[in-house]
Amino acid sequence: MAGIKKMRKGCLLIALLTALLLQSGCAFKDIDKRVFVVGIGIDPSDKVRNGFKVTLKMAKPVGNVKQATAPVYAYISHDSESVAEAIRTMETQVDKVLDLGHNRIIIMHRDLLSKDLDTFMDFFTRRGDVQYIAYVAVAESTAEEAITFEPVTETPASIALYNYFDDTGTESPYVITTFLFEFRREVLGKGINTVMPIIGIDKENNTFKVDKSIILKLGEEPLELNSVETKYLNSLINKASGFSYKVEENDMTLVLNINEVKMKYKIILDEVSPRIDMNIKKVGVIGESDKRLSIKHLQKYDEIVADDVKKKVMELLTTLQKNNVDPFGFGLRYRATRLSRKDIMDEWDRIYPEIEFNVKMDIQLKGTGAVE
Amino acid sequence: MTEKLAPPLFNSLAEQFKPTNDIIQTSLQLKGHCAFLFYVKSVVDGDKLQQTIIRPFFEMASEEGFASYIQSLPNQTDVPDYKKLLMMLSAGFVLVAIDNRTFLLNIRLVKNNEIQETVMEPTIHGPQKGLSEDVETTINLIRQRYHNSSLKIEKVKKNDVSNRAIVLLYDDDRVDPDVLAKIRAKLEEINTPLLQSAEDLQHFLNQSKLTLFPTTMVTERPDRIIYNLVGGKVVIAIDGSPNVILAPVVFFDFMSSMEDNYHVSLVTGFTIMLRYLGLFTCIFLPSFYVAMTSYNPDILRIELALTVAGSRIGVPYPSFVEVFFMLFFMELLTEASMRLPKAVSATATTVGGLILGTAATEAALTSTIMIIIISAVAISTFVIPINEMSFAMRITRFILLIYTSLFGMVGLLVGFIGIIMFLANKDSLGIPYLRISWKGKSDELRMNNK
Repeated sequence: MAGIKKMRKGCLLIALLTALLLQSGCAFKDIDKRVFVVGIGIDPSDKVRNGFKVTLKMAKPVGNVKQATAPVYAYISHDSESVAEAIRTMETQVDKVLDLGHNRIIIMHRDLLSKDLDTFMDFFTRRGDVQYIAYVAVAESTAEEAITFEPVTETPASIALYNYFDDTGTESPYVITTFLFEFRREVLGKGINTVMPIIGIDKENNTFKVDKSIILKLGEEPLELNSVETKYLNSLINKASGFSYKVEENDMTLVLNINEVKMKYKIILDEVSPRIDMNIKKVGVIGESDKRLSIKHLQKYDEIVADDVKKKVMELLTTLQKNNVDPFGFGLRYRATRLSRKDIMDEWDRIYPEIEFNVKMDIQLKGTGAVE
Repeated sequence: MTEKLAPPLFNSLAEQFKPTNDIIQTSLQLKGHCAFLFYVKSVVDGDKLQQTIIRPFFEMASEEGFASYIQSLPNQTDVPDYKKLLMMLSAGFVLVAIDNRTFLLNIRLVKNNEIQETVMEPTIHGPQKGLSEDVETTINLIRQRYHNSSLKIEKVKKNDVSNRAIVLLYDDDRVDPDVLAKIRAKLEEINTPLLQSAEDLQHFLNQSKLTLFPTTMVTERPDRIIYNLVGGKVVIAIDGSPNVILAPVVFFDFMSSMEDNYHVSLVTGFTIMLRYLGLFTCIFLPSFYVAMTSYNPDILRIELALTVAGSRIGVPYPSFVEVFFMLFFMELLTEASMRLPKAVSATATTVGGLILGTAATEAALTSTIMIIIISAVAISTFVIPINEMSFAMRITRFILLIYTSLFGMVGLLVGFIGIIMFLANKDSLGIPYLRISWKGKSDELRMNNK
């Protein structure tokens, strides 16, 4: 009797477990029933007051990636009061599940930067399937245009914008990379200002142009840096190499290829006037010259270059100081290395506009770039 | 002179064997000397019988002389009780009666004593010959590779109907006495009407009725046997089987090939790494596919995600049905090519593997990525050196697949942890199954050496 009972129980258990197999459940969603969002653009809305226009770039799966000739993306956009609402509404516009898990770029309109950034960006930090390693960028014109633009070099299943910002594709000192986690941390944190790349479009060549950047100030007008400033800033903050630099000195023009950058700074307050000592070391070779160069005079070239680069760095630092922005995070360093006090940031805000910069530039050229 | 009569024992034996035709009950007579022979013709070596018994009888002058000659033969044994005698006669012993004395001589004809090629665990280096189906030859092969007086050979008689010899071999100095006692007890407990082979016996040594992972190892390689004997393990050989059982074993024994000892260290390291990668590939890959296509496509690279999504266009069933479907066909193929005669099996693999695979993708029944995964899984299953473990892994794969189909990536992890827990809970004759012994080779061989 007991045996039969046991067997019945076992059979029931097996039947129930088998039945479970048929219930694919809510989490179970096949990959071909999902549509991957590969880019999000946010613009201020024309239709809804104080609203947003959200544009999504979606990748359409193709049977054979190798035979697909044109990029296969679809775009939809929607105006709504909030980003979350817009995306929810767009879910009714596509037949598949919107999967933001593969989205790695969020492009914002420039006008949105002076608004309350943290409220609309909040959606991205809350939604579970948005990855914190997504890049944030600012569009030169509108985010919609930047998102929907398909450059000539874009191939199927490879998103051009991603290649700019991860280091697998192009590596250029002009391209600043800002991740969503950095963005969130720096926007909400004190003592550092976020730098974001500006994505422009070169209509003539049908390509993107990512060479400028913008420095955020929460609630205020952001500061835009031109491409040269961006390059300098990027080389110092992110130690971006491949930094080519032109020096003109006594009718001689040199172009340098810098492949190693080191930067250290120290905030000195216990002397007469507050000062930041910055030591910069750059190692590279001469890439182009309009004169014959001799390896014996390498040291002379080092000095020429150092003088020139130092001037440029000083210009950059004073520009930043004048505009009261701090992408280096001097304030953060100040906060981190002093005893915590109530008004420590106010102190820094008083110090920063008056602080002096003392830049020491050390250029080490390894060669003239040519065989004698 | 009256003719001597055969002893009454002979008649009763003949009675017992009737109506078998191959029993011989005969007498040798010369000038009043007389000897009686009783044997089963088909299991006795005729030439040897002729040379060692019949011819000397006619050359000897007296019955006493012949009797003492017989007694001095090395293959002579005492006459046991009646029941055992019957068994021994049927195994090829010859009963000789001279005067009132009876002798039992071992003149067995063993036809299955040729040494087998290694088929289950072939290696490039190392011995190419395995063991023999005849247990005496097997013992000979082991003894000839291990000249040591501490090698003990212990016969265990089971009273199953076939009356096969079961032999325990161990190195007395190195063996763990607890394990030995356990094995003896286990063998004692076995109560089955028929034992056919080492694999058969192995099932009875396993603790529970429902087993997935083998707790003893069946091997055919003499080098593995010696290695394990030196390591203090017990070898169980059974007559009629070209394989022996090694006990106790741990999981990692199943992942080692004897060839690991014959290569240079880096090559060995590489192959071991390859083997473990193969193991993980074969149990994880199908589940991984399900988890990634249906639950967490975010962990793939975008390029791969789009390719997978693209290749699944038009596939009618959800991913886990697809995987089950393909695994089922793969298992059928494996099974078919194993059972088929060698000449046909190549055709089966080609037809099944190539044509079915291509056709299935053409017909949009599965995605192309699936075919790659299935082939990778099929190949990597065979990287596991011991066959039994690779069979066990074939089933483990399905368990993980069910878990993953139900709970996604989390299910895969939970299932894997479950398997690890199960293995950790298991033991082989008291030795923890998942014991990792961080030992060098020389330490391992010196195990328990007091």
